[in-house]
Amino acid sequence: MDQIERKNKGRRKIKMAKMEKESNLLVTFSKRRSGLFKKASELCTLCGVQIAIIVFSPGKKVFSFGHPNVETIVDRYLTSPNFSSPQPNNNSNINMLEAHRSAKIQELNAEVTQVTTQLESEKKRGEALDKMRKMNQNKCWWENNVSELNLAQLQHLLVALEELKIDVAKEAVMGASTSNQIVPYMGTYNDTYPGSNIFNNL
Amino acid sequence: MTRKKVKLAFIANDSARKATYKKRKRGLMKKVNELSTLCGIDSCAVIYSPYEAQPEVWPANPMSILGQFKKMPEMEQSKKMVNQESFLRQRIAKAKDQLRRQLKENREKEMTELMFQCLIGKEVHSLGMVDLNDLGWVIDQYLKDVWNRIEAIKKDPAKAAGLPAGQVACLDVSREEKPFGAVQHHQLPQLQWCSTFLTAGSAKQPQFGGAVGDPMTMMAGYGSGGHADPGGAWTSNPYSYILDSKKWE
Repeated sequence: MDQIERKNKGRRKIKMAKMEKESNLLVTFSKRRSGLFKKASELCTLCGVQIAIIVFSPGKKVFSFGHPNVETIVDRYLTSPNFSSPQPNNNSNINMLEAHRSAKIQELNAEVTQVTTQLESEKKRGEALDKMRKMNQNKCWWENNVSELNLAQLQHLLVALEELKIDVAKEAVMGASTSNQIVPYMGTYNDTYPGSNIFNNL
Repeated sequence: MTRKKVKLAFIANDSARKATYKKRKRGLMKKVNELSTLCGIDSCAVIYSPYEAQPEVWPANPMSILGQFKKMPEMEQSKKMVNQESFLRQRIAKAKDQLRRQLKENREKEMTELMFQCLIGKEVHSLGMVDLNDLGWVIDQYLKDVWNRIEAIKKDPAKAAGLPAGQVACLDVSREEKPFGAVQHHQLPQLQWCSTFLTAGSAKQPQFGGAVGDPMTMMAGYGSGGHADPGGAWTSNPYSYILDSKKWE
């Protein structure tokens, strides 16, 4: 009983030592490196600081994140590791550039947030659809996975689907021919007629 | 820790910003450390802030790692180098791609459900063009799956889910022999299921590529189907085929 319960119940605390399985290690590296850069980016936006992060991959490639860029931070540190040399704030050109950059960043941040929330809601919708299908499978045998059906059911389904296919094709053809008739006349009407807005995207 | 959603913008309040900086900086360094340990790799971080006279670094002496970095050829250094802007653009592109895939998947699920509803009598007339196209595509895909499964069972009857005792496949034996697609409707023109959300990944206006059969032919094809009548279970609604399913369970 205990063994079954322990199979990955959500997030589990992992051991802080080099991972044993190489495949897991590579996946972990990829995910955590990405998450690390994300946190660094957020810190820059929220607190207006300058950061450089350098990460060597298990395959000896190097990943780096830098704000405003990696080279200036690295060089700055290498020349004087002990001092935060004050940034020149009197040059108006630099300030303009900084302002422009941060406006762009703001835009991009907003876009990421927007797309991510959309993605999350679509994922939820997908889960809801799965759940509904699963519920239906109890009542309707034909909604079960194809691999769960017996030969008679499959043949039954095959014929029913073929018939439906014909009906759909018939309906589609008729729809296509009627819309071809109406569209050319759109220009001759002064007032739009009820329902004419459905052709607005043609 | 309470999880309030933080707006991703410069924190105007000075003390709040400093507090956030302290917390997040600590968290960031912790994450760099964990990454190095878990994956057995070298990494370092350098932070310049207006709150400290000295840069924050991890590890305590990052010189060897920085040196390692500088020694690499320029191209190698810059290959995977990002700044905030490029990093965000990458994230946006990836998220958009995932979103596109998820939308397509959801659409397919929706259409499959619609297909099942139509099988038990939902009116096909009520559907718009885009729905019809996607529905047609989904039906085709499902037919392939059903056919493949039938073939698999025939090749290896041991795979078949057991039929309850006494039930037998009541369809024409002759139909079972016919190749897929040639069952009865060969006089119909082949309609290409064209660019819609499902087939092309972007919602475009459908245009039909195939020849348009006139409704009379279609009717004839539909009527002359020649499906077996399993003992008079047919009514005028062909989809009652499924409704009479109780005899198949």
